Amino acid sequence: MTARSSQVLMAEGLARSEQVPAAVEACYDALAVNDAEPFAHCLLAHLLLEGDFYDEAIAEATRAIELDPDCSPAYLALGLAYDRRGGMWDQSVLVWHELAEVVPDLVTAHVQLGEAFAAAQFEEEAIDSWKRALELDPKEARALYNLAIAALKREGMATALPGFRKAGELDPSQDDLFFALLGIRSAPDRAVDPAKVREDRDSRLGAAALAARADDLFVTAELVRMVLDEDPDDADALALAAFTYLKQEAANEAMACALRAVAIKPDLATALYTLGVVYSRRAGLSKHAARVFIAFTKAASQHALAHVLLAESLLGLQRYSQSKKAYRVAIRLDPACVRARFGLAAVHLTEGLHAEADWEVRRAAYYDTRRQGLFWRLYDEYAEGGAS
Amino acid sequence: MSATDEHSSKDVENAIVRQAEFPIGIDLYPLDEERRGWADWYDRDMEPEFSALADARVWLVRIFVSWKYFEPQVGQYDEDAAGRLDAILDMASAHDMKVLVSLFADDRLAEMTDVPWGKRRDPRTDDYLIQREISLAQRVVNRYRAHPVVWGWELANEAFCTGFKSESDIERWTTMLRDAIREVDVERPVLLGVDPETLYRTTGVDARGAIDMNEYAVSHLTAPYRVYAAEGPVTSGPATYLEGFLLRAAARDLPVLVDGVGVQSLDFSLAEEAASIRTSLYSALMNGASGVMVRRYRDLETEKREPYFRDPFEVLVGVADVEGEVKPSLGEIKRFARVAARVDRRRYQPAPERVAVLMPAERYEPLPSLAGLYGPRACLQAYIGAKEAHLPVDVVREGDELGAHHALIIPSAMKLSPGTWSEVAAFVQGGGSVVMSYGGGDTDPAVREVFGIEFLGDHGVRRTVSCRVAQPGVLGELCSFDARLELPHFALLGHGGATIVATDATGSPLLTVNQYGQGKAVYIAAPLERALAQGDPWAAPAAVRDLLRTVYESVARAAGAGPIVDCDTPEVEVAVFMGEEDDIVIALNHSPEAVTAMLSVERVVASVADARGGIPADVGGKTFGVPLASNGAAALRLSYS
Repeated sequence: MTARSSQVLMAEGLARSEQVPAAVEACYDALAVNDAEPFAHCLLAHLLLEGDFYDEAIAEATRAIELDPDCSPAYLALGLAYDRRGGMWDQSVLVWHELAEVVPDLVTAHVQLGEAFAAAQFEEEAIDSWKRALELDPKEARALYNLAIAALKREGMATALPGFRKAGELDPSQDDLFFALLGIRSAPDRAVDPAKVREDRDSRLGAAALAARADDLFVTAELVRMVLDEDPDDADALALAAFTYLKQEAANEAMACALRAVAIKPDLATALYTLGVVYSRRAGLSKHAARVFIAFTKAASQHALAHVLLAESLLGLQRYSQSKKAYRVAIRLDPACVRARFGLAAVHLTEGLHAEADWEVRRAAYYDTRRQGLFWRLYDEYAEGGAS
Repeated sequence: MSATDEHSSKDVENAIVRQAEFPIGIDLYPLDEERRGWADWYDRDMEPEFSALADARVWLVRIFVSWKYFEPQVGQYDEDAAGRLDAILDMASAHDMKVLVSLFADDRLAEMTDVPWGKRRDPRTDDYLIQREISLAQRVVNRYRAHPVVWGWELANEAFCTGFKSESDIERWTTMLRDAIREVDVERPVLLGVDPETLYRTTGVDARGAIDMNEYAVSHLTAPYRVYAAEGPVTSGPATYLEGFLLRAAARDLPVLVDGVGVQSLDFSLAEEAASIRTSLYSALMNGASGVMVRRYRDLETEKREPYFRDPFEVLVGVADVEGEVKPSLGEIKRFARVAARVDRRRYQPAPERVAVLMPAERYEPLPSLAGLYGPRACLQAYIGAKEAHLPVDVVREGDELGAHHALIIPSAMKLSPGTWSEVAAFVQGGGSVVMSYGGGDTDPAVREVFGIEFLGDHGVRRTVSCRVAQPGVLGELCSFDARLELPHFALLGHGGATIVATDATGSPLLTVNQYGQGKAVYIAAPLERALAQGDPWAAPAAVRDLLRTVYESVARAAGAGPIVDCDTPEVEVAVFMGEEDDIVIALNHSPEAVTAMLSVERVVASVADARGGIPADVGGKTFGVPLASNGAAALRLSYS
């Protein structure tokens, strides 16, 4: 483990608890004691980057790398600062390339390298980088979105759409949306035992939803069946059944249950969601999907992803201006919605607004990398003397 | 029609389309191709450029003197160089244009100040080199002092000035060069081509003292500053307000030339370039500029290499492509010139700015204080909020005179000096209104006195802004809401006499108003402007922006500083130029979507006509609609009943 001064440790603690001004001051205190402390420069770069002060972050990260060329978190901060500042793509390519060598299994380094290549007009190299990222993690949605955008630029929307669909299917937040509609935020700590569930409708449905959240679809199915045995027209239970079928790729059954639920309760958000998703996955049903998602956005208007689903269905119908409006609503509700950013970038490209499209892609990259909290992972590994 | 008639009608047209008080200019750089060398200084046929510019009603060009080419050996001046400059001035004269001569400029290509005999000494601080600079300046000025084509002298451009390391260095250099010019030419304006805000951001050097020695100030949005203050698309959102903001910040008792108008990289489509130029030009006119200079005539033809290299001083993109074909941007300039010509400053006066955004002096604090980094961004957001409320707003700095204003916005300031607190207290007591938002840390004891609140501590970071209106109608039509926006601080406030207008979800005051003397003091318990700036300004929660806009407008109205012209569309900026018999109203759409803005005035409007001329449309009411295309602008002459 690499020794760090007490001032650096204090700065670290403050930075982890997001007390930015105090952490910056602590970094300066650490540098007053030892100006050649890569940890302090690296932390400072991260803090300044968090405040979107790119020039200052570049200076600090560069200094950290000068002091220790193996300081992987400084490479991350430097690359991100170059990307966000813009106009420094050549340096950005070098930094991401370096980080991909220093930490070869860091998927994001390859994705970012691809984005830097794309910004520097090296399309082939960009595609190779994203493919490399997908080799490391086949579920890397951002790489898929980037490949879809590249396909859109080269061959048009028809070629790009499957890529967008595939990336959307990988999005774990879509399931989160369904459970948010049911009022469930996280998976239960313990597995649901059907024998211990009270024998009333609400308890069974609640437990079924919890079981579904924990991916225990057998328990879900059993509890839902009990509810439906008592009342076959219970729309909530039908919607949950539809979701369960959907998770098992049984599209016809899911569609039947969801349709029945919507027929009973036309504004039931969970049923509309499931029906819309089933339609959107079936070729030739895009128009139906769009109609259902229009109703869904009314039932779940405060959920960004509801508007994204509508926008994606409109994108499939090549209704770009309507799609753009829906994406914009989604971004207003959740600026960090990567899926909406990439979708909006695609719409901008169809309108010839390349600068706006680039901006949305950059913003998506910003939020996606930030969400992963990579800096602290690399920092801890560096402090432990691990990956570096 | 005889030749004489034709000539006189052309003169009349020229007289109408040119406004001596508002020069519209462009930079003509010595080299248009990266492969050429410093000795190729203006070695090209410039006739097509001058013809195209004259046709577009651009009547000022900036020419850059090359010290290296003029003085290849110490004290030996190249007559060819003088000859080329003569030819350029003659050509400008032939096209009835004026020339701004830039004496010491850097474009990172023509090596203009890189004299080989300088032996790497710094031309900004080395006494010997400064003496040589003075000699060159006097030689050039002396040669052309009687030439009517010269409009003014620029001592240096911003790229050159970024080499200064301290205030004293830049002030000393400016004093010496300016005095040297004044020995020879006492008439024409002298200016230093730097924006005080952007130069400070780049170098940490406060050039305000040096700028004040001259006759013009310059506002210049640089690419790094755009990234710092308003990163993102250039044709929508905060970026479109940035030039107006810098212009207001640069205007300190001097006329301001808005410099470097145009996009800063070749990433944009021709339509985006045109939209950006249109927004910048109208923004300059609407915010009191005394002229505009467009970035470049012809695109720089760069070497064929990848990855694409961008010039750090962003002089790549012009209004004509590398083949010399003019772009739509030049058409925009031509249309704008016709509008600017009709806004005769002797006949129409801009509406006075009674509202000011105060930029705290902590902006000049270096790291580790973050106030210097947060401050300008928060001020930009406050400026945008005031613009969206259609208030006639100015930007002042701590220490500037407040007397001309009726309402003051102090956005997310961490601290103000005791002197400023006294001024603010006197300002409110005298009838002015102030809106201040908490910026973090402890508050000054004056807050208790002026705002009538007791500061109990900082609650710290919050992820949501919650507003529950307790006193509807006191500060406009506020609405209760919960919006996702990260707040770095939230002041816990106790009662000190102020009225609580709104609280957060737990009942802690969010918005208070206090009557102090004859004025109102409004306190916002969270740094909303900073939170908007540090979040995603392109996706800022509408509810938070509405709250700021409503509060600003309400406070300004109460102080008699409300909008001169009301508008129902926040994204549309409105400026009024008031005449004796009629007014000119300019509306600029900052959004990429087409809109129809409904404008309302106090008097009954008889008719509205395009300011450039045309058939008036009857109105007969106080409200009328103005259709605006995406990033569109309209200049209207209003005649009253």
